[in-house]
Amino acid sequence: MTERLITDVGGLPAGDVPREDVPQLFWEKHMIAMFNVLWSKGVFNLDEFRRAVEAMSPRHYKESSFYGRRLDGMTDLLVEKGIVSRDELAARTEQILREGTRDHVR
Amino acid sequence: MSDDAAQAYALGDRVRIVDLAKPGHVRTPIYARGKIGVIDHCCGSFENPENRAYGRVGRERIPLYRVRLRQRELWPDYDGAAEDTLVLEVYHHWLRPA
Repeated sequence: MTERLITDVGGLPAGDVPREDVPQLFWEKHMIAMFNVLWSKGVFNLDEFRRAVEAMSPRHYKESSFYGRRLDGMTDLLVEKGIVSRDELAARTEQILREGTRDHVR
Repeated sequence: MSDDAAQAYALGDRVRIVDLAKPGHVRTPIYARGKIGVIDHCCGSFENPENRAYGRVGRERIPLYRVRLRQRELWPDYDGAAEDTLVLEVYHHWLRPA
């Protein structure tokens, strides 16, 4: 039997579609800008990005968000390609959380 | 590339979308596999996303088609108009003559 990708949901029951507006956070805009630079410069391509998202565990995928999945897919590819390491990512994340951002104040 | 892929389709050709049961990144949705439709548009040729998804870029280009399928072919319980259709982009190697 064919394996169903986590993104291949056409025809499955979906429940109600949420209709409320969700304000975009600053980190989400910032991250999309970075994402667009990386694929337009050929650091990764969009098919690789889709593959990286599809490789997430179903639980991780469902508990994340549109921007969360994009961030994780992007960083997974950067680690896979040796451009950044998990340690560098963790250290930078730690620093950002310590200093505060526009979306959260320490 | 297989012999099947060497044969191009023309507008109006009847095709079956096959189930290649291929692991990894593919772009042919499960709901369309095994279904019959008609070539609606030839989109040109593109690198296979099944290769590009793993960093294999710059390889041969393969034809991409828009296939028009009846909604009633796709969904057995579809209760809309009989002439309602859906158009799906499918790469050549997922199609067979029907």
